[in-house]
Amino acid sequence: MLAVTSLAAPAPDLKLEALLVWGTNERTSPDANHKPVGPKLKKKLEELPLKWTNYFEVKRIRFDVSPSGSNKVPLSEKCELVVKNLGHSKIEVTVYGKGKQCATRTQELTKEDTLILGGNAPGATSWFAVLRRAE
Amino acid sequence: MDYEAQLKLQAHLDGELPEDEAREVTNWLARDREAVALYGELRNTRQALVGHEVGVSLPESREFFWSKIEREIRLLEPPETSVRPAPLLSAWRRWLVPAGAVAAVASALLVGVFGETRIATVETAVDDPAAFTYHDYSSRTTLVWFSYPADEDPVDRTPGTVE
Repeated sequence: MLAVTSLAAPAPDLKLEALLVWGTNERTSPDANHKPVGPKLKKKLEELPLKWTNYFEVKRIRFDVSPSGSNKVPLSEKCELVVKNLGHSKIEVTVYGKGKQCATRTQELTKEDTLILGGNAPGATSWFAVLRRAE
Repeated sequence: MDYEAQLKLQAHLDGELPEDEAREVTNWLARDREAVALYGELRNTRQALVGHEVGVSLPESREFFWSKIEREIRLLEPPETSVRPAPLLSAWRRWLVPAGAVAAVASALLVGVFGETRIATVETAVDDPAAFTYHDYSSRTTLVWFSYPADEDPVDRTPGTVE
């Protein structure tokens, strides 16, 4: 039994990617650093019941979460995600806005899954925090 | 000659008519050349078909051949359930049937609102009444939407940097 336990490989870190996305009906972003989101994410966003036509990537952070560990992901000055690795591809995501806990969601995040958190932004635009497995 | 008369001739040729009708057809044939011509043609066709019928021989006995087919049919048939519904289940069914119908209508409306063929669910986040979760099973995408007005957004206009 001990031999089996010692031989078993430790669970690998969960490699994740968080993207901050801006949704708008404008064709271009006023910030030249923003680039349109990739075709895969664009398709997913377009399949959601959202009213925006264009989505721009504002920030992208790659991070690892160790088994049973958690990681803070600051997406902006006032918004951050805390991601816990619950094992077996399951995560718990807590959204903090201005330091206040807004929502917590626990779900499986396989390579096919995408978790998108979003809300309204000024000028009839929107913000999105996209969480997915890093390739 | 009408269609019914032609059919009657064919039936007579096949020996399918009752005795009195067969007698009538025989009398009709004795006085009608057109009927005789058609009767002869039908008979020739029949003989030609019978003469060229390909015989099929089975590699196994007739009984074994049919028993195989019977076995295949039995395998395709769903097993009969002999469990009788319990009285408690019957009582529940009275409630479950309308509840199921309501759920089906709600699902249909949901699909109708969010897309024609997409399968999706919507739920309200427990810890934030202003947030709801939309799950699209087709694209395996989950959207948690915070429905605050932009000015009151707790995330404080995250992409405000683009303004």
